[in-house]
Amino acid sequence: MNFNPCMKHKLVRKTVRRFAEAELGPIAHDIDRDARFPWEVIEKMRPLNFFGLQVPKEYGGADVDSISYAITIEELSRVCAGIGLCVTVHNSVGAYPIVKFGTGEQKERFLPSLACGERIGAFCLTEANAGSDAGGVETSAVRDGVDYVINGTKIFVTNGGVCGSAIIFAITDPENTRNAASVFIVEKGTPGFTVGEIEDLCGMRANPVSSLFFEDCRVPASNLLGRAGDGLRVGLAALDTGRIGIAAQALGIAQGAYDAALKYAKERHQFRKPIASFQTIQNYLADMATEIDAARLLLYRACAFKDAGQPFGSEAAMAKLYCSSVANRVTSLAVQVLGGYGYSREYDVERYFRDAKVTEIYEGTSEVQRMVIARNLLAQLT
Amino acid sequence: MVSELPWDARTGTLKREMAGGMMNPACKHAMEAALQLKHIHGAHITALTMGPPMAEEVLREAVAMGADRGILLTDKRLAGADTLITSYTLARAIEAVCPHFDLVLCGCSAADSETAQVGPQLAEELGVPGVAYVEQLSIQQGAVVRMQRVADDFLETLEMKLPGLVTLTTSKYAPRYVPLSGVQDAFESGEILTLDADGLGLDPNVVGLKGSPTQILDVFSPTTGKKNIVLKGAPKKIVEQLLEKFDDRIGGAAGKDLKVDEQG
Repeated sequence: MNFNPCMKHKLVRKTVRRFAEAELGPIAHDIDRDARFPWEVIEKMRPLNFFGLQVPKEYGGADVDSISYAITIEELSRVCAGIGLCVTVHNSVGAYPIVKFGTGEQKERFLPSLACGERIGAFCLTEANAGSDAGGVETSAVRDGVDYVINGTKIFVTNGGVCGSAIIFAITDPENTRNAASVFIVEKGTPGFTVGEIEDLCGMRANPVSSLFFEDCRVPASNLLGRAGDGLRVGLAALDTGRIGIAAQALGIAQGAYDAALKYAKERHQFRKPIASFQTIQNYLADMATEIDAARLLLYRACAFKDAGQPFGSEAAMAKLYCSSVANRVTSLAVQVLGGYGYSREYDVERYFRDAKVTEIYEGTSEVQRMVIARNLLAQLT
Repeated sequence: MVSELPWDARTGTLKREMAGGMMNPACKHAMEAALQLKHIHGAHITALTMGPPMAEEVLREAVAMGADRGILLTDKRLAGADTLITSYTLARAIEAVCPHFDLVLCGCSAADSETAQVGPQLAEELGVPGVAYVEQLSIQQGAVVRMQRVADDFLETLEMKLPGLVTLTTSKYAPRYVPLSGVQDAFESGEILTLDADGLGLDPNVVGLKGSPTQILDVFSPTTGKKNIVLKGAPKKIVEQLLEKFDDRIGGAAGKDLKVDEQG
């Protein structure tokens, strides 16, 4: 067991940090305030492989290992979680399911434009009556000759407002209780596929989260990902990978808040001393640093399991559960360290605090993560 | 700054392991200049560094940026070299691995110790012309490099026949962003050659700390102390005290030596 980051992972971190601090740093505050998606930065990210992180090289991706992937999301989110979110969702649930389950023809058709970021990906499971309960999906896809006709509404779709293609969950066989759902790739511009208004959310405001509407939306059967009825298998595999990304995002938010708190604690003077000289503040900093470190080790273990080809669902759920909870505790403490300034919109810590909350909600709530972990524990023979 | 880093009083060298390693900023600009020249004229770029084994990361970064290969000089016997012996060692390595080089590009100075000595000394060791503190350069007809630099508020244009050596400032050639596939490839298939004193055929007694004629005795940050001093007494006494205590500073500000003036 080696706990030292290898040279490659150090260089990945430096490379992404330099980009994030220079390109996202100056605008992160404004794009959150204005709820603006920064296309000008996305343009710069395209040739740097941010949109083809785990796409094979033959399709124009960088094919990085999962720890490099996590570090990339961490470092983007440390500066701007809304764009970290865009990148992780695009890669882990927008593109990766096609890498894993797509046919050769589907890979040829979709991966090159996803990998270069010309097309931004989205993933739609959640509906008005379905979220944690994937079985509650009501969107339907009915076979009609060589096509499927899709009807339904998906809500809270990350990247919804800017996506070039979406991976959607729909019911193809309502009578079949086990294999009712299937997964489809739907391209922007397909008649009957429209984007709803951008949601006004507490955090992640740079990301255009929206509803997506499907009204007699006709897609060729060749857009079916996996076999008909494979929906749950494809979806759950996508979510396992997605959880690594969201855990990394939560970790990045925590790191950003901690870095800001540490810097402030050294600079801010009260009682004629830097507040970092007080034991209370030192205890806060020590707790934050310890929890961040523990979260990071848990996350990288899930990544290492994934790359070794081992089952990693339970490890990814633990990492997502813990990283998101650390993000909430650390950002809350960071606000406390900065006091009134922490609560002010002028400082970044308030944004981290708002951004952290949703990491306990999306890509499976903390309650669902515990369910996944417990299911694995109970399934083991004792 | 070097004075903010821990240094070893016994050897007079920096404890570099206490700080995170990175490619020296000016060298990164030099690397970018090399890549731009390669883009226009075609070239084979070798990135060369001397340091502890962890300095390999810097060479991987250079390869990720677009260098064709990296050479790492690493050996405990090479450690602790002053700028003269560093230049000597680098020169022997260049002669060994790139005997037919056209152009050596260096950062003008290191961000830690900022001596700016290695580049010019390296030109001497290699027996080629060298120009320091260059901002911009281009290759002209007939293997001539044309350069611009700022010296004493003048913009100088210089030309030099190749082979030669140029040290670059950080004012131009902002380093490119490295694509993540480049980082991945640099580690998967990048060519890094490691050499030690034996590999270079160097006598261990003339390299490293042992072979270095200069030694650092002290490292400190100059402080800018501003004090309010009240001179008391009769006006005549005050003027006398003023001149006595601060004649060098007043003289410096006035541009002449007050004592010499007095005596003359």
